[in-house]
Order: sequence, then structure tokens, then C-alpha cells
Amino acid sequence: MKLAYTIIYVADVPRTVAFYEAAFGLRRRFIHESNLYGEMETGETILAFAGIEAAEMNGLAVLPNTSDGPAAAWEICFVTEDVATAYERALSQGCQPVSAPSEKPWGQTVSYVRDLDGCIVEIASPIAASA
Amino acid sequence: MLGGTKLSFVAIAQWSAFLLVGLPLWIGHTAVFSWREPLIPIPIGYHEAIETPKAARRIEAVWSFAANEQGSAVVLPDGRCDIILRTHSNRPEQSTPIVTGPATQAYRVDYDAGDQWFGIRLRPEHGAALWQNDLGTARDSVFRGRAALDLLPALEALCGTQITLDALSHIISCQTWPIANPRLTRAVDILHASGGRLPIKDVAERVACTARHLNRLFRHNIGLSAKTYAQLVQFHRALRLITIGKLPIIAAAFEGGYADHAHMVRSFRRFGGFTPSNLPADLSLPNIFTK
Repeated sequence: MKLAYTIIYVADVPRTVAFYEAAFGLRRRFIHESNLYGEMETGETILAFAGIEAAEMNGLAVLPNTSDGPAAAWEICFVTEDVATAYERALSQGCQPVSAPSEKPWGQTVSYVRDLDGCIVEIASPIAASA
Repeated sequence: MLGGTKLSFVAIAQWSAFLLVGLPLWIGHTAVFSWREPLIPIPIGYHEAIETPKAARRIEAVWSFAANEQGSAVVLPDGRCDIILRTHSNRPEQSTPIVTGPATQAYRVDYDAGDQWFGIRLRPEHGAALWQNDLGTARDSVFRGRAALDLLPALEALCGTQITLDALSHIISCQTWPIANPRLTRAVDILHASGGRLPIKDVAERVACTARHLNRLFRHNIGLSAKTYAQLVQFHRALRLITIGKLPIIAAAFEGGYADHAHMVRSFRRFGGFTPSNLPADLSLPNIFTK
């Protein structure tokens, strides 16, 4: 099977789509007219947002993401050559800082922020392909 | 009488009434438009929740039902109040006004060919605006005729006329009801999103108040305790897990968040009057969407 979507249930789809455009430089693919679903342009695996009301419609029981308290135990990770600039941009658009860019022993620069719903977003440099 | 019947049941959710399209968000003196244009930088630490459109929404759904033949249906409770006009196709201008209190018990409706209902389902937070001082005793009540008109005098204007859902909705929009408590609305939304599985004290924590205060908000505005409301949401979800999700009963009990199968049976008996393994053929499932 192919990993086709990562879908985050959020309080406000249009607001989150706009946020991800501003904070992470993504482009939107579309927002459904119901405002309950939107997709970002992220290549083969689509990052999408669904209105939290849709969780109930889908028969799910979820804990709404919140910036109060600990984050949910998963993250999405964006990879970019210039982590420092991406990190600063994220903060300037309203992300909460969690961990500033730092170089790891394996050569990757890693940083963490939380988005407007409190979800963990990692911004890191690509892992160098082994020789 | 249990049995398949031909129903034409139309429920239109009015929840898309307030879209965020072009709604300007004022931050200090800078206008920021949601999604239509690029955002102007938001200061770090600024949080905003658009409460007003949702909180101003009183109507959860408008619905109508026209019976083609004689029959009977089980209507499941959803903790909400409905404003209904019942009429008959032979006498469309004679109607009986009906107002229901927050429902926690299932009831059976018998009908003949030609019977018609037009209904407004209110958002749960507005039970108090409708029932006012009687909310405490309104649970599972049904007021008909004069008693219903005493509660909502504006209905009288519709009684001698051809009823439309628009006219019925209009009556509700004209009422001078206060905006729902945003904390209560958020709590209701959280309960729905979490399938009624979160303990009330956790819900209270998420909306920054004590469980006791949250309970008071539920009782005074919805007419049910927070726990009863949560159990209703849980019941409806479990029912859909079985009927629509096609889960085996034990799996539905687990995913539904019941302590065990016996608890689920107890919940189904209480709110539905049936057991999970014995669902009636003529259930009417209300659409509980947090809109």
C-alpha cells in the first residue's frame, strides 16, 4: 500500500491552510467549498486538513489538537536545505518554538515548532545519502 | 408495529450558514483576511477563535417528513429541542404546533399516509432560551397545541398557513435569544469530536473551568447533565459503528469506549429502548453534527 495522505483534524480548515502557506511556504491544492477539507501541494504524499466536525461524521472519536498542554504523540517533518531560515519564518508567522535548529551527530540539522493547533512540526535538513 | 415503510425523510443541515469566506479578522488596526489573501504576519502568542458565527447559530437542522403510507418509527433521542408543525396533506393549512424538551429517551411515532411534519432542531445550547424557567422539567417533555404556542407564540402566525421550512426557520432567527455561552459550545464540540469518550473533568479542563461549573452550564442551557449528554453522544456513535461502520458488537463496545459489553447494553436500553443485538428495523437516526 502507498502512504497517500496525512490528514490533520483542525478547528478551522481555511485558517490552517493559510497558516501552512505563510509559515512553511507550502501552496494549497484546494479547499472544498464546505470548508471541511483542504489539501496542500506536497507531492506524492498529500498533507491535508479536515474540519474536526468531520471526525464525528467519519465515525471517529478524537482528542482535538490544542496548543495548551502536551502535543499529540506524532509529528510531521519538512525537509529543507536552509533550516535556519525556515525555522525563523515559522516563528514569525506564529508557530511556538520547541527546539531551535541544532546539528545532530549524524549530520542532520533538526528543529521543532508547534503549529497553531499545537501539532508538532519538525523542520530538518535532508539526511545525506550514504556513500 | 415494526416494519419497513416508505419514508421520504429530508434533513437539511443548516450548518454551512456561516462561512468564513472573506470574514475580516481585526487584530489591532490591521485587517487580516482568512485564506483569500496572504496573511499579514500574526504576532507570536496571538490566538484567536472565531466564536461569533458558530455561537450565533441556533438551528442545527431543518427537517421534514412526509409519510406515503401508514407506519411507525422509533425516534432516537439527541438531547436537543425540536420545534415541529404536524399537518396532513389533505388539510395542509391545519397544523398542530409541537415543542419538545431535550430528549433522552426514544419514542415511537405512529403515522398514516399523508401525515407531514416540518421541524427545526435547535442547537443544544438553546434549550434554555426556548424553555426558560421550565428547562429543569422539560426533559423528555412534549408540548402540543396551546401549550406549545405559550412557549413560542410566534408559531401562531404559521398555524393557518401553508407551512414552509423557510418560514419556520425565520421564526427562530427572529427570536431575541442570547448568544450561546462560547465555553459551553466548545465543550459540546469537544464531546462530539471525542465521541463522548472523554471524562467530563477532562472536557472541563480543556475549556478552562471546573467540572462543577461545566455541569451547571449544561444543566442551565441544555437541560441535561454533562455526563448524560456525553453518554448520549457515545450511544449514537456506538450505534453508527454497528449500523454504518458494520463493526461486530464487541468491537463496537471497545471502540465506543464502553467499560464492557454490559455497559453498552445498558446504554442502548436507556437511550434506545433496545439492545445492540436487537436493533429495530425502523430506526430514525438524527444527524448529530457539531455545526
